[in-house]
Amino acid sequence: MIDTAALAALLSRAHGAPVAVDSVTALSGGASSATYAVAARAGGNDWPLIFQCSAAALEPGQLSKATQAELQRIAARHGLPVADVIAVTAPGDGLGDGFVMARVAGEALAPRWLKGAAFAGARAALTTQSATALARLHAVPLAEFAPLPLAGGTPREQCARLDAAYRSYHVDLPAFDLAFGWATERLGDHAPAALVHGDFRSGNLIIDEHGLAAVLDWELAHLGDPAEDLGWLCVNAWRFGHWQLPVGGFGERAALYDAYAAAGGAPVDRAMAQVWEVYGTLRWGMACLQLVHDHLSGRVPSVERAAIGRRITEVEADLLYLLKHGSI
Amino acid sequence: MAVPSATVLLEAVAAYLAEIEPGLTGRAAFHAKVAGNVLAVVARELDQQPERAEAAAFASLLGPGATAADVCERLRDGRLTIATPGLLDALLTATTARLAVDNPRYSTLGRLTGTTR
Repeated sequence: MIDTAALAALLSRAHGAPVAVDSVTALSGGASSATYAVAARAGGNDWPLIFQCSAAALEPGQLSKATQAELQRIAARHGLPVADVIAVTAPGDGLGDGFVMARVAGEALAPRWLKGAAFAGARAALTTQSATALARLHAVPLAEFAPLPLAGGTPREQCARLDAAYRSYHVDLPAFDLAFGWATERLGDHAPAALVHGDFRSGNLIIDEHGLAAVLDWELAHLGDPAEDLGWLCVNAWRFGHWQLPVGGFGERAALYDAYAAAGGAPVDRAMAQVWEVYGTLRWGMACLQLVHDHLSGRVPSVERAAIGRRITEVEADLLYLLKHGSI
Repeated sequence: MAVPSATVLLEAVAAYLAEIEPGLTGRAAFHAKVAGNVLAVVARELDQQPERAEAAAFASLLGPGATAADVCERLRDGRLTIATPGLLDALLTATTARLAVDNPRYSTLGRLTGTTR
């Protein structure tokens, strides 16, 4: 449970005037963090906010909410649509590791905005808007991130870490082994050139009638190759069935790449884009393996986690299709 | 009359889930829906026996009795690569057989088998 009085005190301090907290409603909670809708009032006006906090002790490599808040502030300064950061918790606040941000109006459920007629205009604008947001993020000088404890490595090192995690499960999936070998051979040894959002996909965007209203979930951000973000956005799993539109279920690759270059991003090498899509598909497959491992190991036993184990076959099929046809 | 087969038992459980589902909400309702999907996977697995197509595909690469573990071991040490004749097609055959069980509505299955354009 969230201490509403502590939250009101934090907000009053940040706002410089009294803020009341009427209610705190859990929106979603995972093993590592939780999100709450906060109904606050300041100066007689409703102030809808979001509070995100880490569940318990940070796992190795997990970004603190304070770091995520700082990333959102940097992104906002460089023209990305993100929720305004209102306050970051301090150790004495009794609220754990967390931060409060503005609640951005719009639709967060991708299956709704990918389908609804009311969002047709938003979908038409979204490929260019996504490309522009990513190009702006990738252009931020690395020095701005220097104070933050971000992971980083060469593409090949990143892939090797993912491969090692796969091997640690002792599961035999030939398509995974084939794809890991294929991707490792092709990913380069270049040093990180940019901040990579790491989870820029249809499920992590807030969409209003004009298109992209906010980029959410910065918890997988790291230093790396910008092409990783473009590949991740094109992974089949994020199309929610709209598989004919490879960019998140709403756009075409050529339009994404052209808009990215037009907004100042590096020209996209189509062959490398395919490699990053294979890598992204492997990352999604590893997420499935982690979830089914939660069930098999007894950490989080549930029929849902068990069933996700059979979604791994979808990932294998996508990997083989990508390797055979070059794109999916 | 015969004692109920595994398939008949699954159908009975699926019917029971469908019966209680309207009375459930939230997490319980969601998990009941997932459980119904899981029963359908098991029913298809009993019916289609994808392990046979998978075994035949692995045998075409490495000989009779070859397992997924054998294929993975050779992919890891480089004895099999993407350039190995027949490798990609054998893995596709094995995977489409299992995908037809695990999620027959998945778009990539239709694209691989030519039923979705």
